[in-house]
Amino acid sequence: MAAIYTLYIIRKSGGLIYYYGSAGRMDTNDSLRVASLWHSMHANAISQQLSPVSGCLGIELLQADTFDLHCFQSLTGAKFFVVCESGAQHMENLLKFVYELYTDYVLKNPFYHMEMPIHCELFDINLTQAVEKDRVAFWADEIHIQLLSHFYSD
Amino acid sequence: MQFFGGSEISPSPPAPTASGNNGHMMYVFNRNGVCLLYREWNRPLRTLDAQQDHKLMFGLLFSLKSLTAKMDPTSAVEKGNLGMPQLPGQGCSFHSFRTNTYKLSFMESPSGIKIILVTHPRTGDLRESLKYIYNLYVEYVVKNPLYTPGSPIRCELFNTTLDQYVRGIA
Repeated sequence: MAAIYTLYIIRKSGGLIYYYGSAGRMDTNDSLRVASLWHSMHANAISQQLSPVSGCLGIELLQADTFDLHCFQSLTGAKFFVVCESGAQHMENLLKFVYELYTDYVLKNPFYHMEMPIHCELFDINLTQAVEKDRVAFWADEIHIQLLSHFYSD
Repeated sequence: MQFFGGSEISPSPPAPTASGNNGHMMYVFNRNGVCLLYREWNRPLRTLDAQQDHKLMFGLLFSLKSLTAKMDPTSAVEKGNLGMPQLPGQGCSFHSFRTNTYKLSFMESPSGIKIILVTHPRTGDLRESLKYIYNLYVEYVVKNPLYTPGSPIRCELFNTTLDQYVRGIA
């Protein structure tokens, strides 16, 4: 199962504006710190100055011992990053889909102030659905494969 | 954290992941952050002078390690504050990251030697290759009687073997 542990959205100045995930693992202050640390390493500062060739746009994938971190930066500077199980596939697509949800349900919400923490119920619902659907789709594939192997073994 | 078996060079080096000349540069740091070795094969863009560049690289690794140690979603134990000093092998570390222009592979030995290899973004998993480079370091540098630990590496033989090997893998 492609487990998605957490999902962060940070605005272009580096502050955390959305956090999705099991709340018990990390408290609010820590998630804020982690988000701004990621921002400073990813953004104009560090990873780009160390690039051997020009045109570096920041870290896309960080592979740690126990998890993978995929990051997507929108043209306006908002960064979306997801912490998932090592080797999880199609996370770029998920991040782009989350970006789509963000533009639809957050940016088009007349009560949303730009660059402020996101409190939009519809966004929450759709995001949860997207993440869950990802798992369900994966399970569906698994079941399909099992059924096929069953079919062929008969 | 894996500990490495015997010190002999494994008989066959890991298979190449891609052919071509894609290695950009390599750093070796000791646990105090001293840059023991810097090799450069292909680096058109230079934004900083050498010393600042090494400091920035070490800082990046340090911050990324504290980030991954804090973020580790699989361990339930209390992980302490962000940026808490950690011994080599303690906490969750990382082995590579990728941007659109380069891929950085990282390995830390139990004694705190950090080997960093910067290659083309489409190179595969280089963990085995880094272990092999660590073996080269042990064979050609640590076993060299004229080498003082903690000083910059000046071993001709190590450099040539390394150049040859990196040309082969990346």
